[in-house]
Amino acid sequence: MEIDWITVSAQVVNFLILVWLLKRFLYQPVIHAMDKRENRIRSRMTTAEQRERAANQARQDYERKLADLEQQQASLLAEAEKEARQSRRDMIEQARIDTAEARNQWMQEVKEEKASFIKGVQQQSLFAVESIARRALEDLADEQLEERITHTFIDQLSTLDQGIIDTLSKTRKPATLSSSFELAPDLKNAISRELQTAIGAAVPMTFQRSERLICGIELVCEGHVLSWNLSDYLTDLTSLMEKAFETARSREPEA
Amino acid sequence: MTITPDDVVYWQWGLFTLNGTIAFTWLVMALLTLGSWLITRNLGDDPNLTRWQNLLEVLVTGIRDQIAQVSRQQPGIYLPFVGTLFLFIAMSNLLTIVPGYEAPTGSLSTTTALAICVFVAVPVFGIASKGAGIFLRHYVKPTPLMLPFNVIGEISRTVALAVRLYGNIMSGTVIVAILLSLTPYFFPVVMQLLGLLTGMIQAYIFAILAMVYIASATSVHEGSQDQDEKPQPPVSP
Repeated sequence: MEIDWITVSAQVVNFLILVWLLKRFLYQPVIHAMDKRENRIRSRMTTAEQRERAANQARQDYERKLADLEQQQASLLAEAEKEARQSRRDMIEQARIDTAEARNQWMQEVKEEKASFIKGVQQQSLFAVESIARRALEDLADEQLEERITHTFIDQLSTLDQGIIDTLSKTRKPATLSSSFELAPDLKNAISRELQTAIGAAVPMTFQRSERLICGIELVCEGHVLSWNLSDYLTDLTSLMEKAFETARSREPEA
Repeated sequence: MTITPDDVVYWQWGLFTLNGTIAFTWLVMALLTLGSWLITRNLGDDPNLTRWQNLLEVLVTGIRDQIAQVSRQQPGIYLPFVGTLFLFIAMSNLLTIVPGYEAPTGSLSTTTALAICVFVAVPVFGIASKGAGIFLRHYVKPTPLMLPFNVIGEISRTVALAVRLYGNIMSGTVIVAILLSLTPYFFPVVMQLLGLLTGMIQAYIFAILAMVYIASATSVHEGSQDQDEKPQPPVSP
């Protein structure tokens, strides 16, 4: 175990040279590269942090905008819903009014149609009744009936109004006696005689046949009319039936 | 069987002898320098590192961390010295697996030279850090009576540094040589592997102890807290 001091000194020098060499070729380049990379990474990190902050800011902005939009949408939706509800109510109300008007109009039309129909029916009924009665009376009219009618008329002459009597007594115009049938001569004489008796003076008379009268006799003189006619009964019947229809119509409940 | 590579003489001119120690030291220096130059000539700052750059960065970063951990100071100014100690010793010991190679650290001349470097580096770093007065004052503390003991302590630890490394490496070489003659198969390989492990450990111990000595010199007399926080040297085997 010897120490060669020359070798020792050489090794010292060698070691110091090695220190310099490694410092020059190893430590400095490696440390420099690491520092450079570290700076680069730090720079990237800083950039990334800035971008992250910007991204976060943008995200917050978008979230806020989104929330505003959602709120606005909800508000618009609620408003639209409210308007739709109101519009629906208005439309329903309008439809109700229109329906009521249409219904009233329809009811009015129905009522008018009904009235028209009833009136038609009434007129047709009257016409039918009258036709039937008129035909029946015409069919029934024979000499006995005519004679009977004539006697009834003569009875009426005996109960003339004073006005008629005065008029007939003063006039010089002939009285016209119309009949629905041909009067037998004795009946004509009986009538003349009875009229003369009732007035107290002879009255010129003309006899004529009238189809207008169904079954009856009519005396016309100076605007005064004295008659007995079955059509009067029919007229009365028609009046009665009209009254009955009016009464029945007024009792109908208002639709 | 040569105990030390000092005995292997390749060339001699006057007093200077080119022995195995110097020759293999140059080899190690050349390998370290060439390898470093080859790798670091194309260093990039790209995050995608090459394998060799990664290896170097791991080495340098590891050494810096160890220095910072031991000294509790910025590792920048100590890195070249302490790092070179470690790398030189580690590479010298690692190459023992190459047949025909003799580790320079198996020479007491080399270990003495390294220990002398440490012995000198301690006051140099201490004075550079604290100034000559403060540094020299700690030799007379706690009392001037301790001056000789402190000086002896400085010398003895330097000698211990040299002898510890030399002994470990030389003994490994000798054991392998003896085993080769006795049981040439298997056992020498095992012992050589053990020698590799020992060589790495010794390189670490040498560098760490050097750093501890330097750190104790640079942080000396900074108060009781610094005294308490003075790093404890690892126990050497």
